[in-house]
Amino acid sequence: MTTAVSRVGDSRTAAAPARRLGRLQREGRAAYLFLSPALLFFCVFLILPFVFAIILAFSDWGGFDLGTLKWAGAANFRDVLSFNGTFVKPILVNTLLFAFGSVFLATFGSVLVAYCIDRLSFQGFWRVLYFLPVVATVVAIGNVWKMMYQPAGMINGVLNKLGVNSIGFLSDASYALPSVTVVQAWASIGGAVLILTAGLKAIPEMYYEAAEVDGANSWHMFWSITLPLLRPALLFVLITQFIGGLQSFALIIVMTGDGGPVNATNVAAFEMYQRAFKYGAWGTASAMAMVLFVIILAITLLQLWIARRRGEETS
Amino acid sequence: MRIAKGLRLAVALGLLATGAAACGGGSGSGGSGGKVELTLLSHYSDGPSKEGLDKMIQEWNKENPKIQVKSQVVKFDDLLTTMTVRQTGGRGADIVSAYGLWGGQLMKANVVAKVPDDIATKIKAEYSPAALGAVTTGGTLLGYPTELNTYVLFYNKKILAAAGISKPPSTWAELADAAKKTVKRDANGNIQVEGLSLIQDGDNKSVHPFLSLLDSAGGKFLAPDGTAQFDDAAGKAALKFEADLAAAKATNPSIMPTKQFRSGGVAMAIQAGWWIGSLKNQMKDKYSDVGVAAIPGPTPGSKGSLAYGFFMGVNQRSKHADEAWKFLTWMNEHKTPDGKVTETGKWLADQGLIPPRTADQEEYKKSLSDPNLAPIYEAATYAMAEPNQPGAYEAKTALHNAIMGVLADGKNPDDALAQAAKAVKPQ
Repeated sequence: MTTAVSRVGDSRTAAAPARRLGRLQREGRAAYLFLSPALLFFCVFLILPFVFAIILAFSDWGGFDLGTLKWAGAANFRDVLSFNGTFVKPILVNTLLFAFGSVFLATFGSVLVAYCIDRLSFQGFWRVLYFLPVVATVVAIGNVWKMMYQPAGMINGVLNKLGVNSIGFLSDASYALPSVTVVQAWASIGGAVLILTAGLKAIPEMYYEAAEVDGANSWHMFWSITLPLLRPALLFVLITQFIGGLQSFALIIVMTGDGGPVNATNVAAFEMYQRAFKYGAWGTASAMAMVLFVIILAITLLQLWIARRRGEETS
Repeated sequence: MRIAKGLRLAVALGLLATGAAACGGGSGSGGSGGKVELTLLSHYSDGPSKEGLDKMIQEWNKENPKIQVKSQVVKFDDLLTTMTVRQTGGRGADIVSAYGLWGGQLMKANVVAKVPDDIATKIKAEYSPAALGAVTTGGTLLGYPTELNTYVLFYNKKILAAAGISKPPSTWAELADAAKKTVKRDANGNIQVEGLSLIQDGDNKSVHPFLSLLDSAGGKFLAPDGTAQFDDAAGKAALKFEADLAAAKATNPSIMPTKQFRSGGVAMAIQAGWWIGSLKNQMKDKYSDVGVAAIPGPTPGSKGSLAYGFFMGVNQRSKHADEAWKFLTWMNEHKTPDGKVTETGKWLADQGLIPPRTADQEEYKKSLSDPNLAPIYEAATYAMAEPNQPGAYEAKTALHNAIMGVLADGKNPDDALAQAAKAVKPQ
């Protein structure tokens, strides 16, 4: 009896993994089948264009007709990365200054604003107020600031009242990039404020109560409790804003038209667009896109590495 | 099991549908029941330009039920992008209207078809040299010349008179003197009246006025092989002339003449002839203050201008090229009911543009309704045609950056020109 039971038990235990494997395989196939529309979409609209962009980066192509595509080797990269050209300096330098500048100002501003809002009444109202620029179109924002920056605009009007001569904020090559950077930072504060406010809400109140009992002042509490516990939210804001800053050029088109004066506000994404759609130099444009991709990847990895070293959850 | 089979079938069908969608489309239009539908892509999207073109198309469609033309319009700023995207996707229009400057890259990318020999011979015989030059790339005619624009000097008679200047300047020295005398600034340095505007709205806005001055000094923009020629003595003199005006604060690139001339904020501007139509609409009674003269050169009697044009050509991928050429020939050659000018010539003249056909130009010159049009028509006989070989657009941007470096950033003109010339790469 015992033997018969154990035999039955043996055959059951031997058949169970096979059945489980079969079920898992069936489930896996079904899962892939359900995923296939999304995977297909991903392939058609992301993987294929990316592969095509890589091919174009090594080709000479004027657009329009795929039959005219010619292999160019590394010539486009040599052209793009040449120090005699305009891409590395001033365009790439402008791109980094624009991205770093706007991220720095937006992050600093949004931490300040979120911290203040967290201590005010009518928090919903303040959040909506700061979020409005995110909802407004870039064209509207760009044009409003463009008018304020004009020689006879509001900002110069205030400067004139203070006895300062008018400044060509958008026409002077020294001021144009900082002027546009400020607007980009201002326009992106709202989104960051929302994320940081959520981060602030997640910090347990007991830490502040304990610090208060220990006699900590507001600055100590901010520096030693708020900022360290806000790091995951800050990391998210930094990475997304930085990637956005490196790829952004709509505001520049609205405010300075052609990346001027004298390429002072020209950035990589805008130059890519111009090369491809204006001059029909798709190979050069794709090579620029690859260079920008590598830069974004490197900076994002660096940010993640720094965050991991400080023990943040980044996955 | 049935469900899995169904899913597989659905995925396979989805793949097929996606593939079919990706590979589908074709050039331009199709035909059904012997009827051909041609598409015409242009930037004539509003006002008299749209109305005039639509009227001609309606007339053609009525007379030719088997060859129907459908107009597709976009704003000028979107025209090249639309053309690029649609052509690459296999949905290019049968007939394309394009800016002459794009001709080189459109030809290099096999977008525009060769003009049939008999039509090309007629066009070459019947159109003005400036119009032909603006739509010819390396000896190849791209299509029927349509819009033709030349650059002239616009001035505000009242502002010049108030500065004690009774006639428009006829040399660079007089032009600089008039610009310096008419410029006005307030106590804070804000410009109230700009002396001479050396920029215009639009693509590479500083280049067209510079090329007009370069032409007046006998210089050239690009050689036929695409190498830079603007960095010679004539180019240096023209840019130094602009640099001196910028140093004297008589010109300022932050002032937009298209916005500020009408309200008396600009005394003189180097602009294209099409501006007349806008000024008439915007200034109403005050238009009588506007004067137009040839752009003076460095020496007495010398003058210069730039001519740029548009053309209508046939898409190399069109399945109905013969029908397309048939329509274009009719559109450009049939005359108005009084038989004096072509319908296309009238359509362009009604917009304040110069008709590119020599006979139309002569006819309109006989009875110009506005004396300000005379210098604009006259410029068509001596203006430098804007070069349009592959790479010309990039060369123009390089030159624009050089000029703005001088006007807005105080760079040395010779260094700026040398740097721009280095950036010009013949293709």
